[in-house]
Amino acid sequence: MRIGPQIPAILFTALLASRALAAGTAAPDFSLPARDGSTVRLSELKGQVVMINFWATWCGPCRQEMPLLTQLQSKYEPLGFTLLGVNVEPDSAAAQDWLKGMAVDFPILFDRKNAVAESFGVQGMPSSVFLDRAGNVRYVHRGYKPGDEAKYADMIRNLVKE
Amino acid sequence: MTLRGIDRACAAAVLLALAGCANVEPWVKPYERQNFADIIMAPDRNPVATAYIDHVYEAREGARGASGSHGGGCGCN
Repeated sequence: MRIGPQIPAILFTALLASRALAAGTAAPDFSLPARDGSTVRLSELKGQVVMINFWATWCGPCRQEMPLLTQLQSKYEPLGFTLLGVNVEPDSAAAQDWLKGMAVDFPILFDRKNAVAESFGVQGMPSSVFLDRAGNVRYVHRGYKPGDEAKYADMIRNLVKE
Repeated sequence: MTLRGIDRACAAAVLLALAGCANVEPWVKPYERQNFADIIMAPDRNPVATAYIDHVYEAREGARGASGSHGGGCGCN
């Protein structure tokens, strides 16, 4: 019997999928240090639509979508929307350096021990998790391709309208 | 060992290997791939020439893909 190369790939995907954070479940709470020195706790943002974006400076698509996320933040903030950029690097110096040249105006949090990335079951970089006003996970988006920002905007609009 | 015995042994080995997969630690998670994404991990020294040769192969064989991984190893796309 010959086992095709796709069999291990399917098994691997199934293994990853079993750890995904399902839509509809309550988001695990966390508190992380922010770039401006404050501490951000997720449960304090209840009542707002929250988009949590997991990113790293070594991830090209993450860097690519950062300016677009800034636009989303400024556009939807008046409607009760907050974006949290969670940097997953153990050493945040690279992120601090890179952000100096960027007009990023949403909170950047540092998840140096990857505890939050683990509790959210992040399956790709970048990953975005969209929470409704009650703090439940509603959408999970993996990866970034040019054009995905329109999907982000749709999801945010849906959640803000509720 | 009969042929059937070998088949069974193979099946047992595959099952054992699969069962072992779930417990491998450390399992490198997508958000832990910063060392893989480092430029030093790229095996070829002439990426532009390699991309051209890949293109030649694709055109000649009428097939593409499965010739390695692209991107920064960040588990996206």
